[in-house]
Amino acid sequence: MSDRLDITLRVNGTEYPVSVEMHRNLLSVIRTEVGLTGTKEGCDDCECGACMVLVDGQPVNSCSYLAAQAQGREVTTVEGLMPTDGLHPLQRNILDEGGVQCGYCTPGMLVSASALLARCPSPTDEDIRIGLSGNLCRCTGYAKIIAAVQRTAAEG
Amino acid sequence: MSPAAAPAPTASPRFVRADGPDKVTGSGRYTADLTLTGCLAAKFRYAGVAHARIRRLDVSAARSMPGVFAVLTADDVPDVRYGPFVKDRTLFARDVVRFEGEIIAAVAAVDAATAQRAADAIVVEFEALPVVNDIEAALQTGSPLVHEGWSGYEAADPMVRDRNDATSSTITRGDVDAALAAADIVVKGRYVADGCHAAPIEPRSVVAQWEGNKVTIWTSTQVPFDARSGVCETLGLPASRVRVIVPHLGGGFGGKCGFHFEAHVAALARATRRPVRLVFSRREEFLAPDRRREGIVYEFETGALRDGTIVGHRVWLAIDNGAYTSDSGFFAQMAAMHALGPYQVPNIRAEAHLVYTNHQPSGSVRAPTAPQSCWALESHLDELANALGIDPVELRRRNAVRTGGTGPTGQTYGEIGLLDCIDAATAAVGYGQPLPDDEAIGVAVGWWPSFAAPSGVFVKVDGDGSGQIITGAQECGTGAVMTLRQLVADELGMAADDFELVYQDTSAAPYDMGATGSQTLFNNGRAAIAAAGQIADQLRRLAADRLEAAVDDIVLEGGRASVRGTPSAGVAIADLAAEAAGGELLIAHGSGLPPSAPVIEGATCIGDVGVAAWIAPQFSCHAVRVKVDRETGVVRVLHVGAAHDSGTIINPVGAEGQVQGAVLMGIGQALTEGTVYDEAGHQRNAGLLEYKLQTCADAPEIDIHFVQIPTPDAGPRGAKGLAEAPNVATAAAIANAIAKVSGRVRQLPMTAERVWRTGVGA
Amino acid sequence: MSFTIASTLDDALAALAAGARPIAGGSDLVVGARHGKAPLPGQLVAIDRIAELRGVCATDSGVAIGALTSHGELESNALICDRWSALADGCALVGSPATRHVGTIGGNVMNASPAMDTGAPLVVLGAEVELRSQRGSRHVTAADLWTGPGRTSAAADELCTVVHLPDQGARSGSAYLRLEYRRAMEIAIVGAAASVSLADDGTVACASVALTAVAPTILAVTGLDTLVGMPVAAAAAAARAAASEQARPISDLRASDDYRRHAVGVMAGRAIEAAARRAAGESIPVPLNRSTGIGAAWSSTGAAS
Repeated sequence: MSDRLDITLRVNGTEYPVSVEMHRNLLSVIRTEVGLTGTKEGCDDCECGACMVLVDGQPVNSCSYLAAQAQGREVTTVEGLMPTDGLHPLQRNILDEGGVQCGYCTPGMLVSASALLARCPSPTDEDIRIGLSGNLCRCTGYAKIIAAVQRTAAEG
Repeated sequence: MSPAAAPAPTASPRFVRADGPDKVTGSGRYTADLTLTGCLAAKFRYAGVAHARIRRLDVSAARSMPGVFAVLTADDVPDVRYGPFVKDRTLFARDVVRFEGEIIAAVAAVDAATAQRAADAIVVEFEALPVVNDIEAALQTGSPLVHEGWSGYEAADPMVRDRNDATSSTITRGDVDAALAAADIVVKGRYVADGCHAAPIEPRSVVAQWEGNKVTIWTSTQVPFDARSGVCETLGLPASRVRVIVPHLGGGFGGKCGFHFEAHVAALARATRRPVRLVFSRREEFLAPDRRREGIVYEFETGALRDGTIVGHRVWLAIDNGAYTSDSGFFAQMAAMHALGPYQVPNIRAEAHLVYTNHQPSGSVRAPTAPQSCWALESHLDELANALGIDPVELRRRNAVRTGGTGPTGQTYGEIGLLDCIDAATAAVGYGQPLPDDEAIGVAVGWWPSFAAPSGVFVKVDGDGSGQIITGAQECGTGAVMTLRQLVADELGMAADDFELVYQDTSAAPYDMGATGSQTLFNNGRAAIAAAGQIADQLRRLAADRLEAAVDDIVLEGGRASVRGTPSAGVAIADLAAEAAGGELLIAHGSGLPPSAPVIEGATCIGDVGVAAWIAPQFSCHAVRVKVDRETGVVRVLHVGAAHDSGTIINPVGAEGQVQGAVLMGIGQALTEGTVYDEAGHQRNAGLLEYKLQTCADAPEIDIHFVQIPTPDAGPRGAKGLAEAPNVATAAAIANAIAKVSGRVRQLPMTAERVWRTGVGA
Repeated sequence: MSFTIASTLDDALAALAAGARPIAGGSDLVVGARHGKAPLPGQLVAIDRIAELRGVCATDSGVAIGALTSHGELESNALICDRWSALADGCALVGSPATRHVGTIGGNVMNASPAMDTGAPLVVLGAEVELRSQRGSRHVTAADLWTGPGRTSAAADELCTVVHLPDQGARSGSAYLRLEYRRAMEIAIVGAAASVSLADDGTVACASVALTAVAPTILAVTGLDTLVGMPVAAAAAAARAAASEQARPISDLRASDDYRRHAVGVMAGRAIEAAARRAAGESIPVPLNRSTGIGAAWSSTGAAS
């Protein structure tokens, strides 16, 4: 029996028919077959959050989620966060606040932040800290990222 | 919150990085995001053991596997030993492996899984050799040698080598024996710092492609020119045939300094006549690079008068160099400087050894040797303060170096702000206020050099009035390269947005040392201003002709050139640029002479690598309030006051970000980040589950204060470096706070279990 | 090799009977395979879309938690937070928000890790696990289900469908605490759950304690009937001593055995105290670690920030 599956993934509103090995994780399929490299691999272990995507609106570590599990679900990557004509408020605010340095954690951080604000539009400082705790950043010390989420929430 | 509801962008006066839109949209490409048609995947076969002789190496099965294009070993590359201080390393292990992450063979195959299967199919038979696992034991006569052939290696002149001692450094000044004998009180202390990791979130990646006899290498390095030199040296190529390009770099913190794996991938690409891509796993990122923060053992002895004046200070220390000498060749003297600290002590002796072991090689990680040495020294000085019955902050005020004063090695300082830093940091956290009995504030001071180095920039302004800055400097996330746009724009009376940055390409831009030593703004900023100055001169001449005024009277401001005093009658710089586009083009290059090293008086340095006196030294004081759960030893950092004399702050947002990030890294070093070795020399926690970085939930409140005073010999506009300095004093301040609640922890990191053991006296 | 998506419980049980392994969130399976624990099974049946296995439902005798209910759903479920607080305490500490979204109570239970944060709460709350197969269904207590690290007494064709928690009675409360080195993204170094019922005079009427990561399975502390009639502080001290004595910890990278033995006692004592406060009607927010415990977000005023 072949270990390949023919599946259709819906990523950022577009359907991608792909043929993948049964055990392939969603991250590698997004980066390779789908061709969107904004989602990063940092640990392949659910520890760093660089691979964070939304599956049906909920944050998921795509490194540890099989591509096959995402069939019939809506996957959103960092590329899908922005409107066509500019930046998502989180994207704009993280830049304005200086919350981007090397940028490698940024896509996953933005995905987690958008999920946080979707379920908790007026987060406390502690809500933000826990909401982003699955996304490691080595550059910023998180302060300016937290400020960006606070500002986005305040803007409504 | 729907995207459609996004409010209109608001104008922000704050610095927004030029690479920001790439990074927030996911469109910015990092090395692992690149692919080329026909690209193969690379995998390495690692030693997997810490010390052994290779009895048999058979790659035939791997070579014959379907989908495998090449398997390379030491036999397939030039027999070259390399290393910036001691040439003790080869691309592939020859005969002996000296740490578990040493590369024995490299495979290129059709995909990563095939390459891994082939790497696993390589047959290696080892004869076990005794593992040198302990720094102090390695220095004993009779210890097994890490390098049997050490005496035959080429080495830089200042290296003082002896068996497992890769180099040593001794600094003496005054008569420390007499001073300690005459002191009212002498305190001794021993401290042990475990190694730890840079742990950037991007694991490194390399892509190489040959066209004709030239190779282009895309790599996640902090130092593209160093990477190029390494490729040239190990593969026997002139620089003119090697081009190194760095796509966006996902952090480095020193871990991606130096030359690492570029030559392996280039060799695979040459052998296969195909592009080849290497992407590291997180585990490889932990085990294979020669860039671990070094473990160090310290023995201190310090004598003081009753009034708190330190009269003599002696320190012996031994650094875990690991199996090979990377840029660690300067660590012995650098660690000695940090173990002496920014204090005016007239009688000193510091002896430092850089010791080979069968561990992963150490190398520059953010302020190499400084955080752990500061932790040890500042712990020791708090113990001295306790013995004297003097407030620890007062002890530091009394002995700290000051303007016009002289440091431990006899360097006399111009205007410096260490005392101001102590005042600001302690005030920020309310030092001296009453606290609950499980809380305390600890204070530590630190220092770090600025590094002068040659550096170059090209600047051009095109006919439409926009321009490019073409720089050899490397952006590792700090924003230092991003800031160049502002420096250049200010010289030209233009806007930062008028300029595009072209960077991280060794064939496009002049030399720069790279994102290392916090030197980018210090040196490349100087070069950028020099280049912009030439364009400014050209613009002034054009404007002087147009406006019929003297060149010296032309002012460039707000995108216009005008005559001083009559700003209304001017000409747009864009118009001048258009004119130049039809005549002599607006093209410039800048470098500028790096400032020369300061002199020291009265100190004798053996093993002198030139870091016993510092240009534009930076000073810092961190004051940290912690809470200790005495029953479990768990420490939480509540509040940090971080005060820094790093000269003029050119980009405040970027500077704050450096301090915030470095403080959090320092908290990790203090509490949760430490490499654990087993008895066979294997790292036991080479992953992010067991090697614990601080999370967003752990970050404390941080109050930042920059002491900005005029600095002699500083960089552009009075700037010093910045990115490393805020990593120096945090762990030390935390140590001194913990000690007040539950006792002195003498090993770093101060894990919960170690804090608990100290508290219960176990 | 096969990957099927089950839309009903019957589909899933048929796939299991045919040799497939169930996958819900998949994190443990995928990460475990990567670490060489066990290769990913060749036949997988995705059970994450079986609606009947998801949700929290009050019953006559307690609450039934569908096996696919996520940690995130449980930590924010008012009923669970209020009446089976220890489970909510544990769920809220698992990994990150993403892990808590993907991770399910059923997956946790069947993964049988001695370090799982939901395990000790389930034991002190008297959980029964419902296992279904084409052959029928049966209930086992959590303690009987777990036979070793990663091992259960369930047959290969049995699927965990429901976790049942009995009513805890009046003046009772529960709590779970763990030792953690950072405030998030942790695995319990050790942990302890306690369930306490108080008599009218405020003394302990009934207490149970279970321990995390100090034995091959979640360890129920025995001999706690001596706590009955004790004031809470004395009961906490006794539980602490009993926990440390009965723990059988190992030394590993995360902690040495003697530190674990000591710390699990500290956790047990604190869990008793917190459970008793909840039993007395005090509302202590979930998770306990972040509201009063060692991971609390201490601010300068001492209050959670």
